[in-house]
Formats: sequence, C-alpha cells, structure tokens
Amino acid sequence: MGRFLLIASALLFLGVFLVLPLLAVFAQAFAKGFGAYAIAISEPMAWAAVKLTLLVAAIAVPLNLVFGVAAAWAIAKFDFRGKSTLITLIDLPFAVSPVIAGLIFILIFGNNGWFGGYLRAHHIRVVFAVPGIVLATIFVTFPFIARELIPIMQAQGKDAEETALSLGATGWQTFWRVTLPNIRLGLLYGVLLCNARAMGEFGAVSVVSGHIRGLTNTLPLHVEILYNEYNYTAAFAVASLLALLALLTLAGKNFLERRQPELRHAARVMRNRTQRRSR
Amino acid sequence: MSIALRGVSKQFGEFAAVENINLDISSGALMALLGPSGCGKTTLLRIIAGLETPDSGEVLFDGQDATSWPIADRKVGFVFQSYALFRHMTVFENVAFGLKVKRRRDRPAASEIRKKVQELLALVQLEWSHDRFPAQLSGGQRQRVALARAMAVDPKVLLLDEPFGALDSQVRHELRRWLRRLHDELHFTSIIVTHDQQEAIEVADTVVVLNRGRIEQLGVPEEIYDLPTSAFVHRFLGQVNELPVKWRDGRAYLGPIDISAPDVLEPADGKQIALVRPHEIEIGPGPGWPATVVAVRVIGPIVRLDLCAEGQPIHEPLEAEISRERFEAESFAVGQKVALRFRRWQVYPAPA
Repeated sequence: MGRFLLIASALLFLGVFLVLPLLAVFAQAFAKGFGAYAIAISEPMAWAAVKLTLLVAAIAVPLNLVFGVAAAWAIAKFDFRGKSTLITLIDLPFAVSPVIAGLIFILIFGNNGWFGGYLRAHHIRVVFAVPGIVLATIFVTFPFIARELIPIMQAQGKDAEETALSLGATGWQTFWRVTLPNIRLGLLYGVLLCNARAMGEFGAVSVVSGHIRGLTNTLPLHVEILYNEYNYTAAFAVASLLALLALLTLAGKNFLERRQPELRHAARVMRNRTQRRSR
Repeated sequence: MSIALRGVSKQFGEFAAVENINLDISSGALMALLGPSGCGKTTLLRIIAGLETPDSGEVLFDGQDATSWPIADRKVGFVFQSYALFRHMTVFENVAFGLKVKRRRDRPAASEIRKKVQELLALVQLEWSHDRFPAQLSGGQRQRVALARAMAVDPKVLLLDEPFGALDSQVRHELRRWLRRLHDELHFTSIIVTHDQQEAIEVADTVVVLNRGRIEQLGVPEEIYDLPTSAFVHRFLGQVNELPVKWRDGRAYLGPIDISAPDVLEPADGKQIALVRPHEIEIGPGPGWPATVVAVRVIGPIVRLDLCAEGQPIHEPLEAEISRERFEAESFAVGQKVALRFRRWQVYPAPA
C-alpha cells in the first residue's frame, strides 16, 4: 500500500508538472488545426530562429566540451595552486543571474563598453549580433560539463592514468584510451545538459541579442516576441519545435545507451550514485 | 638494472614525506620497503618510478642520473594496490596495452602481440581469462593480470605498491610465494612496498625499514628480525613484551632476573626498557621470575600463554609462545604458578 502511494504520488507529480505542460504546448500549437501550425513553423523568421539556435548550440557545446574536460582533468588529476579558486570560478555562471551575464558582455563589447571603440573602428559587431549571443550562451552553459565530470574523475583517481604512462603511453594516448572511456557517460550527460541549456537560454541571450528578427532571434526569443504580439498559435507552434529538439536530445541519449551495453551499465551505476546522493 | 638514491627528499606542504634518503639497490635484487603508513615508503617508490619528482637529491639508474627522466623512459613496471586495470578493456586488451601504444615502428605485429600476451597470461596462470572483463575476476586474479600487463613491456624494474594489501591472507600468501618464484626466474630488479613485516621477511632479499621519512634500518630479513638497532624496528617486526629495566647496586634487573652485561650501561638519566619476543620467554618450574598463567590459546602448531609476572601490573600480562608439543608435555593450565626465564632480550633507552 505504501509503495503504491509512493509510486502514485510520483506519477501524479510527474503528470502535473512535466507531462501536462508538454501536452499543453502541443495542444495549443495545434489549436487552429495543422494548417495554421504548418504556416507558423514554416515562416522564414521562425526558420531563421531555428537555424540560429542550432548554430549557437553547435559552437557553444563543443567549446564547453573541450573546456569542461580540460578543467575537470586538471582539477581531478593534478594538484596546483589556485585549484579551489578555479572550482569556485567554474560555478560562477550558476551563481550569477543570466541577465547580469548578458549585461557583462554589453559592458565589455557594447558601443560604450571597454572594447566598444576598438570594435567599431574595425567594423566588428559583437553585441546585438551572433558573436554576442554565442559568448553569452558559452558563459551561461559553461559549468555543466565540468561539474558533471569533476566528481567522476575524482572518484576514479589517477592510478589507471599513471599505469598507462608507466606502460609507455603518451599523455594523448592515455587520455583517448583510458580517461575518456572511463568518463564517457558523465560526459554524455554533461553534453546533453549543456546542449539543452544552450538551446533554451533566454535571459542572457535576450540582453545581448537586440531581438532583430531573422538575424539575432533565437527560438526562445522568437517565442516571446510572438507571444507578446498575442499570436498564441504561432508562439506555441515555435515552442513545440523547441520541445521537440529537447525530446530528440533525450532520444539520442537513449539510442547511444542502448547501442553500447557498457554505457547502459554505467548509466545504472550513475543512477545508483545519484540515488545515493539524494538520499 | 641497479638503482641508487642519493640524498632524496620530498615535502608535501609542511609534511616531509622522505628526508635525505640514500639507498642502493643492486641489479636483480628484491627489496622490501617496510614501514607504518605515512613513513614515506610509497613516496619513495613513486619517486623511483617517476610519478613524483624529488625536491632534492638524485635517482640513478645503472649509474646514470634519471631524476628528470619521464616515466615512460624509465622501463619500470608499476603495480598498484588497487590493480588499476582498465575496466573497459578485456584482460587481453589490458595486457596488450603497453605493446599497442608503442610508436608504429617499434610496435610488434598483431600476431606477435597475441603470442606475447598468451605467454604472459600463461605465466600468471590465467590463459583462460583473456576475453573476460576485470569486473569478472577475483582480486587475486586481477592483481595477476596487472602483473602480466606490467611485464608486457619488458621492464627492467618492477615496482609494487602494497600489491597484495587488498587480498585475504590465504591468497596473499600464495601470491607472495608465486611472486618470489617469478622474480627468481625472470631476474629483474624488484621493489615491493608493504606495511606487513611478514610479507617483507617472506619475500625480500633486503628489507629497508622506514620511519618518518628516514631509513631506520637496512639488512637481510633475519638480521632485521634478530638484531634490530632500535626499539622502533624491534616493535615493528613482530610481537614484543616491554619490561622496565631496574638498576640496583650497579646491576640491571628484569624483575628478579639479573641481566647485567658489559654492553648494558646504567643510564645517567631517564629510563631503560627491555624488549622480549614471545618465543624468547621460557616457562618452567625451576628458578626464575614467579608468574601465574592467566590465559591459554592454542593456535595450530603454537600455543600462546598470557602470564602475570610478580610485581607487574595485572592488566598488562606478558605474552609467551611455546610449541604445541611442549605445551602438551607440560600441560600448563590457567591459574598455574610457573617461573619465567628470558632466552634473549634487548635493552633500549625508554622513550622520553
């Protein structure tokens, strides 16, 4: 009986807070029929937003992947001065409001900012252009991968790496053949989280974007504009695209796990670990 | 390959892990670094391997200064207590790793690698295991895979960091004997780090006892055991009974027993203690230090007796060991009055 209640309440919670909103998005999107939906999402401005969102994620995620792995590797496998400062700095984007993150970049690269004069003289646009959006996105998503990897790498220690080195492997070989396979799953989760946030980021991007339709509008910004224009069907149609991207990411993760049994095993270990942590 | 350490020191923050160590390890020797945790033995091993850099001093390999050589150039096999097997690789891939990461022109052909791995797995008696993953093996099997993997690159030196520490005593005993045989067959220089005096004595040609980052004593196992030069070594190498030395009229006594000898001198100040191992105590009816048997425990071929000697605190009984045969001949029982004599003892200044 207790177990039934527990499961039922979990499902109810999930239904109300996750499934229902998701259904609502799709229901609203199709409220005026499939035709209206098709028109809303095939509109050029909507497509420009999709393309920009994918472009920003395609730049921000790989950069944060490299940074996250490098930072986690350094923190977990080496002792150096300033290590705890580095760990704190990695968390900074979590602590700072995204709006402030956006304003930081206006302050640095904006017309009246530190580098404003230089950039204007060289006809380089950062703020209110794609580079600014990419920078803001990188800033906001940068802890995800490093944060996911640091505890995993610390728990694994460095015995395996030291063994590989003693067997004559180069640092590079050690990374590709020993370290990377050991952190694959954590890395995958980190990339997924990073990607989800990169595509969904609103606040920081909103500040630096300038909302130029067709040029600097990402999907979340586009949704807001449509919504403010009382164009609910179009707003939800575009929102459904964003939701679809998220669902695709999850499906991709599941596919990868299924294809690789040891990944599935690792997923189980991770899940147990998370359970233990949350207990 | 012979190894020499010249004035090697290493600090971790405020903590001096090893201090001014000088040590020579001749080619083909099997040396044990023995000491309690925190004595610097593992740091010393890691310095030899190139996993740590000493703050000062030199590491010589065959007389050449190897202090700054990277680990890959040192030709050392390193075995961890944790085995450190690559979990995502099969046993075969683990053992083949060192061969597969060689530069292309040095790398043996795939068929050669296969043959060599088979030979190594045969050597560690695990031919059947090459498609298994480490998680499917027992602790002892994993450590043998780790040894085979270390030997795949033909190391000149084998460095073992508490290799059997995580195993149960039966398996540990078997692996020690096996390691000794392997060492005798293959003639590389081996250094084993351990906190287990039994392991050091059983397996090594030379034992180095370390304490607080310094070498306390160095010698062949019997010498270390029989002729410890300090109370620390004496205590660390086995059970001891500690008795205060009492001086009366210029003569030294343990209880009523006169232990005066030319090399035992009355201390100007402070106190002296005598250390006596359990098997160095003789029990009998005759003259000696009167004592009462307070406990008897038969442990296979030996019998351990707790004895309360006259004038000694009741809660600190002496521990004596006699053979099973003698015990059965004399049939000592709890409560029985006996007399103690000491076959051997050693006197040290008491710690301040």
